[in-house]
Amino acid sequence: MEEIRAKAIELLRSGEVKCFIGYERASDGLTARPFFAYSADDAGRLIFDRTCAHNLARYLPDMRGQRVAILVKPCDSRSVNVLIQEGQVNREEVYVVGVVCDGVYKASWGQPSQELEARCLYCSRRVPVVYDHLIGQPPASEPQTPASIPEVEALERRSAKERWEFWRSHFARCIRCNACRQICPACYCPQCFSDQLDPLWTGIRIGLPQNWVWNVGRALHLAGRCADCGGCERACPMGIPLAALNRKLAGRVKELFGFEAGLDPRAPFPFATFKKEEVL
Amino acid sequence: MSDHEPRVLGFLCNWCSYAGADLAGTSRIQYPPNIRIIRVPCSGRVDPLLVIKAFERGFDGVLVSGCHPGDCHYTQGNYYARRRLAILRDLLEFIGIEGDRFRVEWVSAAEGQRFARIVADFVMRLKELGPRR
Repeated sequence: MEEIRAKAIELLRSGEVKCFIGYERASDGLTARPFFAYSADDAGRLIFDRTCAHNLARYLPDMRGQRVAILVKPCDSRSVNVLIQEGQVNREEVYVVGVVCDGVYKASWGQPSQELEARCLYCSRRVPVVYDHLIGQPPASEPQTPASIPEVEALERRSAKERWEFWRSHFARCIRCNACRQICPACYCPQCFSDQLDPLWTGIRIGLPQNWVWNVGRALHLAGRCADCGGCERACPMGIPLAALNRKLAGRVKELFGFEAGLDPRAPFPFATFKKEEVL
Repeated sequence: MSDHEPRVLGFLCNWCSYAGADLAGTSRIQYPPNIRIIRVPCSGRVDPLLVIKAFERGFDGVLVSGCHPGDCHYTQGNYYARRRLAILRDLLEFIGIEGDRFRVEWVSAAEGQRFARIVADFVMRLKELGPRR
């Protein structure tokens, strides 16, 4: 905490960055919320602990053209790389402050949560993949990646019909508030396919077929781009298990193309390249 | 086996598969009339959203067909399509649309017979699977 504040003050005072994107304590006194520090005074409000779940990379495309510093956890750092890879962020404009992270708590309302986010239980990274300054002690070795993700595997074991019913019941509850889209660093399209009127991909009504197209279409657009920060599932007011879709596709992209989102900003995007000899 | 007549949507590339389907027609080869064909400039034109949309509109099966790898009129369109459609199949499977309802086939302009067989097989498989919902 102190180290983060000291670093932020140093960066802001020297004029190296205009703004430090981090977290502050929210008004409920328990959770954290994103915070934009523009001065050394502001920097005194910065915090970091297990309640800091937001993926702040979301704000980088909006800050283009000015030098900013950003606080990233390992998953967030992959999102930063995705944005750099896709030309949405200039690496030179961003000073990345990485934090060693051993998981964040689930979202909670009105009481402190002591339960780790699902994604943190099988996360295989404690250290961000990109940083200019690292805060915290990196562990001697990174934890092992699990062979499979329980929630995804449980669904795969069911029959197609059961899976259909499972997702149908969830998508039927979707109110298309677009919170998943708004919180996602990879959703920066100036015009989302679901906002297009011609062709009308999703449809206007808030109904099952329309919700189905929206959620399936979004999952598809995140294939090979999702850093699995779990933000969408956290943000969803209806508790739709969106992350399972993204995890499934991330797993497949890794199996088929040997590609993991956000590890290397210079790697070619798996769907913008091909191998002639591959069998799919 | 149900007596339900499946509805199939086919996206056929202009240069190979559409010509292949045309050859099946001009050669008077019989194949099931369950398929509706949309001609696209290239299999690389097939946005996975089009397939999702077809399933949303109630089609029982979707066929995407293009030139054989290496024969693309635009040199590489079908290679890109292959990757996209592979991940789409996994996604459809995961949300409960059987992988057999979505087929990607490479049919050349000379393979009218093969096109007819693919459609016949596909329709037969869809009849086994029964209606979608």
